[in-house]
Parts: sequence; C-alpha cells; structure tokens
Amino acid sequence: MKPLSGIRIADFTVHNAGPFCTHLLSQLGAEVIKIESAMRPDAFRKPHPVYGRMGPATFDQVASTKLSVRINLKKAEGIALAKRIVGVSDIAAESFRPGVMDRLGLSYGALKAVKDDIVMLSVSSSGQSGPDSHFAGYAPLFGAWGGLGELTGYEDGPPVEIRHVMDHTVGMNAAAAVMAALHHRRASGQGSHVDVAAREVAASLVGDMLLLAAAGGSPRRMGNAHASMAPHGVYPARGEDRWLALAVGSDAEWATLARLMGKPELNGDARFTDAASRRANTEALDAIVSDWTRTQEANEAAAALQSAGIGAHASWTTPELAADPHLKERGAIIEVAEPDGTPRAAVGVPMRLSKGPEIGIHSGTPKLGEHEDFVYGELLGMSEAERKRLEDAEVIY
Amino acid sequence: MTREADVPLTGLKVVVHASGVAAAYAARMLGTMGGQVLLIEPAGGTALRRQPPFLPGAKGEESEESALFTYLAAGMESAVIDLAAPEGQARLAGCLNGADVFIDDTPISARERLGIDKASLTERFPNLVHVSVLPFGAHGPKASWKGEDVVVQHAGGEGNLLPNGLAVEMFPDRAPLKIGGHFGEMQGGIAAALGALSALWARPECGGQYVDISCQDANLAVGAFAIQRLGDGSIEHRVERSFRYGGVIPCADGYLEMLTLEQRQWDGLVELLGRPDWALDPALADSLERSRRGPEINRHIREWASARKVDDIVDAGQKLGVPLARYKTPAEILRDPQERHRGLFQPINVDGVGLVDALVSPFHFNEAPLTLRGGPPALNAAQETAAAEG
Repeated sequence: MKPLSGIRIADFTVHNAGPFCTHLLSQLGAEVIKIESAMRPDAFRKPHPVYGRMGPATFDQVASTKLSVRINLKKAEGIALAKRIVGVSDIAAESFRPGVMDRLGLSYGALKAVKDDIVMLSVSSSGQSGPDSHFAGYAPLFGAWGGLGELTGYEDGPPVEIRHVMDHTVGMNAAAAVMAALHHRRASGQGSHVDVAAREVAASLVGDMLLLAAAGGSPRRMGNAHASMAPHGVYPARGEDRWLALAVGSDAEWATLARLMGKPELNGDARFTDAASRRANTEALDAIVSDWTRTQEANEAAAALQSAGIGAHASWTTPELAADPHLKERGAIIEVAEPDGTPRAAVGVPMRLSKGPEIGIHSGTPKLGEHEDFVYGELLGMSEAERKRLEDAEVIY
Repeated sequence: MTREADVPLTGLKVVVHASGVAAAYAARMLGTMGGQVLLIEPAGGTALRRQPPFLPGAKGEESEESALFTYLAAGMESAVIDLAAPEGQARLAGCLNGADVFIDDTPISARERLGIDKASLTERFPNLVHVSVLPFGAHGPKASWKGEDVVVQHAGGEGNLLPNGLAVEMFPDRAPLKIGGHFGEMQGGIAAALGALSALWARPECGGQYVDISCQDANLAVGAFAIQRLGDGSIEHRVERSFRYGGVIPCADGYLEMLTLEQRQWDGLVELLGRPDWALDPALADSLERSRRGPEINRHIREWASARKVDDIVDAGQKLGVPLARYKTPAEILRDPQERHRGLFQPINVDGVGLVDALVSPFHFNEAPLTLRGGPPALNAAQETAAAEG
C-alpha cells in the first residue's frame, strides 16, 4: 500500500520548495489538491524563455500526481471555497510570504476554526517570525543567508550560488516535518502549525561548521577537498569535460589505488604514508592521481575502483542519469508520458518501501481545473448550478 | 521553547547504527522532533567521532571532540555493543524490542553476520520500521558501491552542474565542484527521516517494513529539474546554467547574492543603481534583451558594487524590493538577529570544550523552536539503560 493513502492535502504552495514537499507526499499516496487560478498561473503554466521553454511545460515534475482546482483567492467566496477544501483535508500547505495567508483570511487560526485538527504547513524564506520574516527570497538567497553558499566554492574563489537543490531540500525537510506533525495529531488529536524556514534549512546543512565557528574555529570553503581524506576530490578523466569523483578512506585503500595506477612504489613513498602526510602533500598527490585518471574512461575507472573497494563515481551528466539501469531499477528514474503519449524521464520519490512498491508518479501535470468534478462535485457535493454560478462570478476561475 | 506536549514525536523510540553522516542525520532529525535516539557504537566509538575538524578546547587548543559528531549526535544516548558477538546481538535485540525505528548504514554484505539483515529483522521484529541508508541503496546493481559525500553528489547530478556564475567565470577549466560540508549525505538522511515517518504512518495497517534509502537517489531527487529540462529538450551545463546577470556580486567588504527574476525587481534594481544612463536604455526594458546582454549588465553592476559595502546595498535594495542577500559567514549567522529571534541555536555542553551554541532544527511547531535533549553522548553513556532493557 502507499503509506499515505487516505491523507488529503489542500495545497496552496507556489514556486518550488513548497510544491516539491507536497509532490513527495503525493507520490507516497497523499491526495494533493493543488489550488490555483488563471489569475496567477503557476510558473510551469507560463513560458520560461531563460531555459528555452517558449510555452507552458508539458510535464512539470512538482505538479505531477496532484489534482488541480481553480479558486480565485481575491474573492471572498473564493476564500470560503478554499476553506471548504481545508475542511475535508488533513493538511493545508502554503508558501506565500508570511502574512499573506492572514490577509487572505486563511491564517492557522482561521483554518483551525474550520477543521480543528488541521495540520498547517508554512514554508517561507526566513520563517514566520523575526525581523527578516518579510524578506522574499529565492534558492540562491537561502543558501547565502544560511552559510551554505559561503562554505561552497574553490578555496581561492568566491562563494557559490546554491540552485534548485536548495528549494527541493527545503521541500523534503518540510515533508518530514509535516509527517511528524501528523504523527502528533494521531497521538494527541491535536493539529499544529509547522513553520519551515528555508534559510534555516540551508544553515542546518552546515550545522557542523556553525558549531565549529561557535567554539571559536574558522570554517572555510575548501573546494572538493576533505578535512582528513586524501586523495579526495574530482579528477580529470579521459575526454572533454569528463571527471571522476573519488575518495580514499584509509591507508589500505591508498595502497590499492597505487597498485591500480600501476605505481605500487608509491606505497613506500614517505610523502604518502598516512592520511595526514597525504593531506600535507595534496598537491603532489593530486598531480599523480590526475596523471592516471586522465588516461581512464570515467565510468570504467569508477567500476574498477569500486571493485577494489574504493568509493568512486563519474561526475555524471543529466543524460547519463536518465539512462542509468541502477537508478531505473530503484524507481529513482521513471518513465512518464507527455499528454501526447511521448515518453520522457522523470524522478521518483527517493525511497523504496517493502510494503509500498507502488509509490511514485502516477499521473502527469494536471490541466488547470482538471479535477473539479471530483473535488467540487464528489468531495464537496456542490451542484452543477452552484459551480456554474461561482464560475460566472469568477470565483472558480 | 516548545512545550513537551507540542513536541511532535514524543514517545518515538529510534535506534541508530551509523558510521556515516546520512544515517546519523536521519536519526538526528527524528530526535530533534522529539524522538528518543539510541546510538549503537562499536568499541572505540563510531567513526564519526574521529572525523575532523575538531572543536577548539576551552583554552584554544584542539580538543578531541569532532564538530561533525557533536552536531549529529547532540541529544542522543550511546551504547557500545559488539554486534559480531552473540551477546551483543542479544543486547541489540533488547533495544529493538522497544523501538519503533532502526536506522542502519552497515554495508549489505556485512549485515547477515551481525544479525541485522532485512530477513532476520523482519522476522523477529514485525512491527519495526527498518531503514537502510547507503550511498547507492540496498537494491540494484550498485548496491555494494561505496560513496563519500563528494561521490554521491557527483553521482546524483548536481556535482557536475556546479559551480556556476562568478566561480565558473573565474575558473572555467577547473573540476566541477561539490556543495560544501556533507550536503549529499544529508540528503540521504532527510529522505530516510521522511521514509521512516511515512512507513510508521502505515504501520497500523500493514505493520513494520523495510525502507531502502540511497543517497544517490536523494541527490537526484533534489536535482530533479535537470531531468525535467532534459525532457524539455535542454541539457544543462554549469557554464550555461548561470543566471545571465546578478548572481554572486563582489563588494568592498564581502559578497552579496542578487537575483531579479521579475520586471518590478529589475525596475527596483535600476533605482538602486541610481538610474544610470546604461540601465535606462529602452531596449533593456525587455527581459530577453537583458538576458542577451547579461555580461554587459553585470560589468556595470560589479563596478558599481565594488566600491560599496554589502550591508549598505542590501539595506537599500530590500526597501526597493530587489532580492538581495549577504553571503553570510558562520560567525555572522551565529549572531544574526533573525536567527537569534528564532531560537535557531541552543547552548549544549561538550566535554573538554564547554558550552557551545548548536543549531537545533529549521522547524518551528506552534510558533516555538524545538530543543536538543543535550550535548553529544560520552561513549557508552546509555550503557545502563541499554543493559536494563536488554
């Protein structure tokens, strides 16, 4: 069984972080009702010329497996309609700027009045409280505020922008938090308001470095290097822009690598006896390793290293990921269909469950308002006439 | 501080056997949300205890306390158990008897010998949620593959797509870059926490089950847009993926992030820059034209910013609705009024170091931050409890 079957989510989230959260929950079996409107079309219903997409997306990862209804939240009757959906839901999720739900009349208190044990999830850039709570932000700003950006980069270079992975790790964190709140509801009968701050998620990913700084240490960015392992990093492989990531975790692994490189004599080299000496002589070490990796096909070298017990993998491009048998066997890469039936690769929920083999994406991007017969008709029991009136009044719009 | 009654996972019992970050991070997440976590360690302690960097001691000298272990294990209890010995396996069974979740990152090939393979645990603990956390998962042709953070980030796709913006402009020929710290391993941990809580939700209907988490899968999941764009017909590359203008901007005293995606934000930026002639070019009113002329725009922005301080630009820009952020150092985050207001940090006691501020959790429940149960456990600190239960 899908573990979250029976859970219903009223999904007000926008952009990437919030929708990715409810997308994960939908793949795990929750029924997610995406509340949107022609007034403010979702980003994926609009062109994105920067990425060369001149029309709406034909497949949108984060909207897949969701139901779509139209509600114009600028109308009082739209708010009332939204509350009716919340009234039959377990979770209400939103990712507006703090204060927007309050102004709409959809605060936690207002939703609790409709459904006493509702779990409300709010995802925002800086959290629902504090002097910066009104800040708008995007993924690179979360990374900058949270220290992840500062601690990413070449040692002698600038900090680095953290992109969509930042939004999506916020979403995956939020999914775990909202599940915890559901367990709390099961145990206590009480709903709750879950407040996830994106910049705090960024900071939580470098919590060890923040702790080091709090104790008086000086954490800094260090490229692909590791505080104790060497060789460790991303090395040039054969071919244009081909790279091999590898990490040698012990002296025994180093001896193995020396043998694989055809240089067993390095094993007795005083510069490389143990991790500390290898770290101290990283420049010479990396030059030797690079001389070997440059002659190797990245995937073949990774397989050979793994067979010998050394952690390694080619630095993969997107087409390599999409075609990988391992990821496909795990359901991490799945095939979905475009509206015209053309197959394309998509990304599944990152887990396998022994009693839930059917988790994953089961439908593509819904059309705007595609599921109103089910939600308004079956679920809320609205008559055709009532729906028609609300459409004419641009409430269902 | 969250009231005990509001801590969501109060009563949840978690046993974790972790030598790596991902499994430990999963347990940490469940622990900060109220779960009681027991860390099973071999004699001498988990390898995480020996991971540098080490925290400076009270007198500034290097202590033996790993920053990583301290962060991951704060609030956990510890039991040293030799899983290779029958009596150790019996003690673990005692711990698992009362547990809801068991999280383990032992390589597949070593599990049976330790009595913690899927089949034995399923048979003996039918209500247990058994979470396996491995670099490439427990199933599939690469299930036996090893992978540190750098390996799983590059196996998951985002590694190859970084850096972008200023860093790749400066160093176009260098190796692609991983995100700092343990980002890739932590993604596996976050997915594992979600997997554990999802499986637990279904437990009343179907009993315990086996949750198979792969750090590679988790990295791929958070990088899903690259696969989406592949389907749209474009293959991303770290050089072309950069925002055409804005991004990481060097200032007189540090770096800021600038990202204007909407017209009103661009209009605000023009105001912030003081309405210079170049920015008032009517052609730049069009967003596609701005993208085309991104490098030229950035030359102007960088020249302007180089003589100004980050905070001055950010303060003025925020008033004009321009999305801007300082690239904050850890020290700046620790004293930031926003993080202080939110209660993001809590002092914990670390042996040989003293009281240190530790990040608790990025979640608030019912308008209150969570709390850590304490600092990192001394080795075997929960021995009596574990023995009593065993």
